Amino acid sequence: MNPVKALFDALRPHFQEKGRGVRLYPFYEAVESIFFAPREASAGLPHVRDHLDVKRFMTLVIVALLPHLAYGIYNTGYQCRLAAGLDLAWGPVVWQGLQLVLPIVLVTYAVGFFWEVLFAVVRKHEISEGLFVTCMLFPLTLPPTIPLWQVALGISFGIVIGKEVFGGTGRNFLNPALTGRAFLYFAYPAQLSGDAVWTALAGARTTFVDAFSAATPLSVAATAVPGVRVEQALGDAGFGVAELFFGLHPGSIGGESDFLALLGALFLITLGVASWRIVAGAVLGTLATGWVLNLAAGPEAGPFLTLNPFYHLIVGGAGFAFAYMCTDPVSATHMTQVKWVYGFLVGMLTVLIRVFNPAYPEGVGLAIIFMNLFNPLLDHLEVILRTRRRVPNV
Amino acid sequence: MIRVRIPKGHDPNLLGRPSLDLQVLGKPATVAVPPARIAFVKPRLAVTTGDAVRIGSVLFEDKQRPDLRFLSPGGGHVAEIRYGARRRIREIVVQLAPVEEVEAFDALEAADVEGLPPADLARRLMRGGLWPLLRQLPYRSIPDPAGEAPAMIFVGLAAREPFLPAPEVYLEGREDLLRFGLQVLARFCRRVCVFTEAARRLPPAVAELVTHRVSGAYPLDDPGVLLYRLRRHAGENRCWAVNGQDLLMIAAFLREGRFPTERTVVLAGSGVADPVHARIRWGAPLSQLTAGRLSCPEPRLVVGGLFRGFRGEPDGHMGYHESALTVIPEPGEREFLKFVRPGADLPSYSRTFLSRLRPHPRAVSTNVNGGRRACIACGFCAQVCPVDILPQMTLKSILAEEVEEVLAHGLLDCVECGLCTYVCPSKIELAETFRQTRLRYWREQARG
Repeated sequence: MNPVKALFDALRPHFQEKGRGVRLYPFYEAVESIFFAPREASAGLPHVRDHLDVKRFMTLVIVALLPHLAYGIYNTGYQCRLAAGLDLAWGPVVWQGLQLVLPIVLVTYAVGFFWEVLFAVVRKHEISEGLFVTCMLFPLTLPPTIPLWQVALGISFGIVIGKEVFGGTGRNFLNPALTGRAFLYFAYPAQLSGDAVWTALAGARTTFVDAFSAATPLSVAATAVPGVRVEQALGDAGFGVAELFFGLHPGSIGGESDFLALLGALFLITLGVASWRIVAGAVLGTLATGWVLNLAAGPEAGPFLTLNPFYHLIVGGAGFAFAYMCTDPVSATHMTQVKWVYGFLVGMLTVLIRVFNPAYPEGVGLAIIFMNLFNPLLDHLEVILRTRRRVPNV
Repeated sequence: MIRVRIPKGHDPNLLGRPSLDLQVLGKPATVAVPPARIAFVKPRLAVTTGDAVRIGSVLFEDKQRPDLRFLSPGGGHVAEIRYGARRRIREIVVQLAPVEEVEAFDALEAADVEGLPPADLARRLMRGGLWPLLRQLPYRSIPDPAGEAPAMIFVGLAAREPFLPAPEVYLEGREDLLRFGLQVLARFCRRVCVFTEAARRLPPAVAELVTHRVSGAYPLDDPGVLLYRLRRHAGENRCWAVNGQDLLMIAAFLREGRFPTERTVVLAGSGVADPVHARIRWGAPLSQLTAGRLSCPEPRLVVGGLFRGFRGEPDGHMGYHESALTVIPEPGEREFLKFVRPGADLPSYSRTFLSRLRPHPRAVSTNVNGGRRACIACGFCAQVCPVDILPQMTLKSILAEEVEEVLAHGLLDCVECGLCTYVCPSKIELAETFRQTRLRYWREQARG
């Protein structure tokens, strides 16, 4: 017999009716169902059911995110050692990155899981796998220098206020990871904005080496002086198209590689887990808005207005957010065709916030949260339009 | 002939498809009628245990509509009346005598049909206990011949649900009977739609009677789906439908004046060793079909197809409407780390399993295949719904008891195919909730 099965068989009685841990049954069930798929015979019709379940659905998103985590670990270590003027061999870089990133990820999971278990136990429902995706997304959007207590606070806000107070995964209307991220940004701007927070310092150092610039592409773009094209300014700072696309530069832990985001989006769209309409809408919205701004830009306009629209897709976290945050099925529109509208408006707002709000260089997170608020309305409109087309049958 | 495409739906590619061979099984010891499984009927018994019955004797009638009578498909004596929960009459079991006596009814010639008023035909069918084989959309209730005339009558010569008997098997040699049946239906309504799958090869004599060829996936064999595609206005919602084989029974009864006692069924599913078509007595015991043919240790016997059939007991009998016995295994051991398996052998509507790359029939069990969760808005239910209901939104309206909204969503168009429940990754019982809501609404309407 499978030894894992033997272990669960031995533990199960403690979490059932007469056991001491009966209140923790949702926790036990969550762990057990990770190892052993549930066995439940269909009661109502139909007699057969599809093999896809929520666990697999969510796992596939995590699979798509794992390369981001790996690359984030490498990039964090790389930037840290670069800033400290240390050896950039592969081994030490990864080790440095692990030391910086793993605590953030572990704290996120521990705190997030705590809240989910607490709510599941009190409300007597199962632990939903959406949590694992939220806890994977959240640390990837953070700067590597963030204090761990802020990580704990942010994910708590995201899980509790963004999700659990509405009834848990599936009943929330905001993306929980972004809710936590936005909370941190507004509560602790010092730790989440500016150039200094995006690169960790190694060991006892208190300053970067002179040759190192900690500026992120977005801050370079936002602070470009009139008369210089932004593309030029980015290029001068070492951010060519390839650097921006592959994302080996200071920034959030996992959100900088648009290459991986593209692969991830293709993966999820191919499997039917993410909606291609949302991603396509967001890309279109970004390009269209960037292009309109190009047209509208007069001679005295800020340089950001004249930025080639394609740059908006590869600077900052837009690619990452379009691939994974926008496409969260629960907080996106639920109806099919308005997904275009939702995606398009997210792209549009992202560019508008970036270009017109100097206080907040990255706009994609806020754009998604803002559009999340409108999604029930968009759904309502599509439902009305579609039901109106029906031949009535009453 | 009109071609219709059903753009939605899904064909789960399952093992256990019956071969087209027809086995003729002998006379069983018992036959039965299951009142509890005939929807919209409240039975009032006309016999008690021990009564002698003939083929065509009344076993029970409907309490609300006493002219709806259900007759004995066998001659002998009533051996047992089985009750289920809350004393619902589960089965009336008739022990067959070696020589069965037969109740005589009036026979009709094809030429006579033309002159008969529809009410007279309906009366004959009601007396003959075959009227309930006709169903009225949208509820699939038993039509009232005195009520509003149907806009169309659908005759289904298609079989797409896993698994139903192939029309070419039960039609073989009975083409003229089908023609006669259509002549009878034409007395009730001028628009009789005979539909089948686009790819189905029917005998030429039948193929020329077909009016609609439907392409697409399950549930294209459902008249409700075709009606949804054909109708132009609300006046066409009330239609009648009859299955091809049932129409043959109606025609045989009217022409010969003798209650029909045979049915062509399939014994199918991955739980049987040798899936085939079989000709059996109407209401034959399941054990007669399964004897020596089961190939799994813990089978579920489904009377009817896997999406709409009911669960049969090992000592139970075939149903009144159903013409299939589908057997699949109950769930086996809990699978280790299933959610990370590539799943080359796990069929799915979604694209998340490797099985997608190599389509071939695969085994299934009755396992729900996952934990129950809140809806995550994946949208599969709306993608698959053949009549464009938005199941996820409709469910919310049902839970909020917004009746008007539920009806505007098209709940009455629901054909109860069960695909929404089938594809749901959160394992929400959408179809069952819709079925119960429809039934509740029907009761309210029936009460007036």
